[in-house]
Amino acid sequence: MSDQESFEPHILGFLCNWCSYAGADLAGVSRFQYPTNLRVIRVMCSGRVDPALVLDALIWGIDGIVILGCHPGDCHYLTGNYYTERRMRTLQTVLDMIGVKPERLIVDWVSASEGERFANLIGDFTEKIVELGPLTDDLPPEELRTRLLAARDALSQQRMRWLVNREKELLEKGDVFGEQVDEAEFHEVKFEALAREYEKNRILHSISDQVLSVQEIAKTTAIPPREVLKNLIAMEQKGLVTVSRIDGVNPKYRRLGGGESL
Amino acid sequence: MELRRRGAIYLYFLQAIPMVMTIDRAHCLYLTRGVCRICEKVCTREAIDFEQTDIEIDLNVGAIIVTVGFDPFDPTSLSEFGYKRLRNVMTALEYERLICATGPTGGQLIRLSDRKPVKKIAFIQCVGSRDVKNNPYCSTVCCMHAAKEALLAREHDPNVQSYVFSMDVRAHGKGFQQYIARGEEEYGIRYVRGRVAKISENLEGNPIIGYEETFGSIVEKMEVDLAVLATSFVPRPDTKDLAAVLGVELDQYGFFKTAHLAPFNSTRKGIFVCGCCREPVDIPESVAQASGAAAKAAEIVTGDQP
Amino acid sequence: MMEEAKIGVFVCRCGTNIGGYLDVPALVNYSKGLPNVVCAQENLYTCSEAGLNEIKEAIIDHQLNRVIVASCTPRTHEPLFRNTCKEAGLNPYLFEFVNIRDQCSWVHMHETEKATEKAKDLIRMGVARAKLLEPQEEIEVDVVPSALVIGGGIAGMTCALSLADRGFEVTLVEREEKLGGMLRKLYKLYSAQTDASQLIEAKIGEIEKHRNIEVLTSATVTEVKGFYGNYDVTIRQERKNVPFRVGVIVVAIGAEEFKPVGMYGYDGIQIVTQLELEEMLKEDRVKAHSIVMIQCVGARDEKRSYCAKVCCTTALNNAMIISERNPKAQIFMLYRDLQTYGTIYEDLYKKAREKGIIFVKYSPQNPPIVDKGMVKVFDEFLGEELRLPYELVVLSTPMVAHPDSGELAKILKVPIDEYGFFLEAHVKLRPLDFATDGVYVCGSAHWPVTVDESIVQGYGAASRASIPMSRRRVVSEPIVSFVDEESCIGCGLCEMICPFKAIQIEETPKGKIAQTIVASCKGCGTCGAACPQKAITMRHFKDEQMLAEIVALMERK
Repeated sequence: MSDQESFEPHILGFLCNWCSYAGADLAGVSRFQYPTNLRVIRVMCSGRVDPALVLDALIWGIDGIVILGCHPGDCHYLTGNYYTERRMRTLQTVLDMIGVKPERLIVDWVSASEGERFANLIGDFTEKIVELGPLTDDLPPEELRTRLLAARDALSQQRMRWLVNREKELLEKGDVFGEQVDEAEFHEVKFEALAREYEKNRILHSISDQVLSVQEIAKTTAIPPREVLKNLIAMEQKGLVTVSRIDGVNPKYRRLGGGESL
Repeated sequence: MELRRRGAIYLYFLQAIPMVMTIDRAHCLYLTRGVCRICEKVCTREAIDFEQTDIEIDLNVGAIIVTVGFDPFDPTSLSEFGYKRLRNVMTALEYERLICATGPTGGQLIRLSDRKPVKKIAFIQCVGSRDVKNNPYCSTVCCMHAAKEALLAREHDPNVQSYVFSMDVRAHGKGFQQYIARGEEEYGIRYVRGRVAKISENLEGNPIIGYEETFGSIVEKMEVDLAVLATSFVPRPDTKDLAAVLGVELDQYGFFKTAHLAPFNSTRKGIFVCGCCREPVDIPESVAQASGAAAKAAEIVTGDQP
Repeated sequence: MMEEAKIGVFVCRCGTNIGGYLDVPALVNYSKGLPNVVCAQENLYTCSEAGLNEIKEAIIDHQLNRVIVASCTPRTHEPLFRNTCKEAGLNPYLFEFVNIRDQCSWVHMHETEKATEKAKDLIRMGVARAKLLEPQEEIEVDVVPSALVIGGGIAGMTCALSLADRGFEVTLVEREEKLGGMLRKLYKLYSAQTDASQLIEAKIGEIEKHRNIEVLTSATVTEVKGFYGNYDVTIRQERKNVPFRVGVIVVAIGAEEFKPVGMYGYDGIQIVTQLELEEMLKEDRVKAHSIVMIQCVGARDEKRSYCAKVCCTTALNNAMIISERNPKAQIFMLYRDLQTYGTIYEDLYKKAREKGIIFVKYSPQNPPIVDKGMVKVFDEFLGEELRLPYELVVLSTPMVAHPDSGELAKILKVPIDEYGFFLEAHVKLRPLDFATDGVYVCGSAHWPVTVDESIVQGYGAASRASIPMSRRRVVSEPIVSFVDEESCIGCGLCEMICPFKAIQIEETPKGKIAQTIVASCKGCGTCGAACPQKAITMRHFKDEQMLAEIVALMERK
């Protein structure tokens, strides 16, 4: 852990125009003081915040992210904040999975009349992040970056987006046959899919700018060689990776197209 | 407000609308002594016109709304407060200018008499208000503006200590009580319940507040750096003339008289009144009244009454 | 290719509000060094006419195609600056706001250095975003020239009548069987001592014969859909749903009296509330000779820290009525601060003292104690305890928000404060508006007010609500979703999650493609954050624009 005294965390807030941004303004009007670390991006609704963008923010080195919307039921756009809540909960699971402390991301609700609450919330969160230390305390910088990139790409992937964004409807209204989906079961399926998608992207990112053998990939990603091979074969069929050259008996893989995208 | 010198051609204040210069008739050299006209020569837009005279404009209108506002009461006549006689006694409105960024000190909280930083302020409430000899009514907004002014003082300088001398603290609007409470708890504003009997000053020019604390009826003295008088709202001096022109009545205090349960209606049909020319009110109430008076006028002008 | 961004940055001192806490010259200097910034300057007040003119001049002189103002908050001032840009020929959506007051100088008042650094970051983020801003065409929509007024008390009735007199159709909804609201419970109204019932009957008479007003009683609002100028409302009335469309909505649901159950021996018989006293006065049931009124019961305390404004004057008026009917009556009024503001109420206070009503100031540390037949109170002026025998104790309790306020706030998507009163758009400048266009508030739904003040606000809200209806067309923000037809695969996720049915999959020559229904889209961006193809762009809140802010914040760190 780094020196807490001198650590000034970078904290990014996504605030919805109607409730939380207004609450933040009210904190100002009422002169409630809070730490200077917060930088705010205003959005019309917290539902605008794409989990992939949150990961981008982490990739760029933000230490803590706070997403604030209207209280449940108060959303100016009816249901935006419900999506936010489910999306960000999923994202927290992903962060936990890849070794980033999930407490670095919080989702909360602040109404237009809660100026004092806003100031306290930001104060507490800032303190929490100072306690956690810089993001790079969670993982070594290079590893952190690759993992975050892989997580971002996993969450940008079509199937994941369907799973994450249909969650609300599936759990509240049931599936196309009107059958209520079991919440625990759903989360299990979702998490499994996320893990697999992340694994795939983690492998892809490991061979974005270098050619590696199955063993070498397994070593850098800490994914069992069998899984690596299974993934590579599947991705080779989809034209995502190719065998670049063969060293002795070991084929070495590299990523096709795409690659690092920031 | 006589807080600092200005030229005879000036801008009313920085956020004035319209944003144009005004010639001070009483002090313009050309208008008083027939010499100068420098402004005319230097104005690149040729906007100075000394030939301008008052003109009469005839309008044919369906409704009239009177919103002429109020004047702050001049406390010079209340000799016990020493306004104009003592160096560091000012009205709340002057104080507002003093701490304003566009004011005479550029917003620094210092005394105009000796430029000494102000560390201790007494806010004297109900100066001319709730006072049978002057204005028996309550001016409604002074309790809150005193709290605000004391808060601002603290924001200018965290070492400022403010005392508010008042009878009742009238904080009945939305969020007002909480504002007063925060002022006491976080900004260290102290409320002293009682009437100020007399203000004197010592050699350094510090006002000495002589007051009778109502809790226990003891006469006390307090030395401060600055005394701020919350003067009452009074009708503007030309209100009587305007009322005569409009053919409407004034109330016992000289404000425009309005009807019970028809708060915009003057005593003459089609003439409506809103804001502080009917009674002292705060900004949100003024704004609400202005909208309401507009509705009354619109009913006449664009109405569709069955 | 977009033309090279030429950005002008205007840093507002806001008097000392910003200038006193941030190093404004440093911010200006810093802004000058940012990419694409061609001019930067400070204003004492950017929103003053002088400041606005300087923006316009700079747009022309420097051929600016982006303008940034770093000052208060977009929630109050963005429309003004956008309009200034428009007047100078710049598309208003090429304006960017940087909030360095409400969310910077005012919340970091003792940390000039750090707060200035924060403001620099915010300006840099604003510049990065401004570079990527795109012009937008404003969307005009027709306004349905009719209003919904929710609540048939004095504020709502006044508002409905004023709008109807202007020629607008009004639907007045009241949850009770009859119109009148709180007025039905009141007795005499100060200052002319009009019977409240007379006032109600007069208003109801006018309303009933008005051809522009439809009254729905025993009715509640259950659903509000649609948008500014075109709200689709559903009213539940006697087990049937009544749907209709209005252009504007006024909230006038009033408030209720707090019942002091468990306080000061409240029993509703010998120890009653001020409102119960009015009922007794109406029926001429007040026989007591010794009466003690206690102010601030359940108000200005831990639970309800506010002063409810009208209780002192109500108590005074009732005390006067009692003492006029029964000159022998001995009335004590125990108070903390007497709220007789303005001319007529202070006059009432004076008359009450002349009439012999005795005022006793108590402090909350030493509240009165109501015993059997005796009220004990410590008089702050005399510095001693008084024992006041009573036959009747009247407790002045505050008005509390109507129990429906929370539910209605959710239906209308407008905010309420911690006590359940509706929260206006701006405490000073827009007391009758909500931040949501086309929805207004008046009367005690917003804050406890007297009958006169309710009437003022009723007219005021009518005036505000009539503006869009008179204009017939209003401009709505072009912040809507836009689908890139090339990358859309017609998967339908957006259609599924849109709360407004504003995006739909359509069969096109290019196959199934999502299309935005601009009039219905409210611009939340929930679809944009979900699209698996990233084919949906939220106008004015694009991914690239937000990412640019993050990059600008972090790239040099």
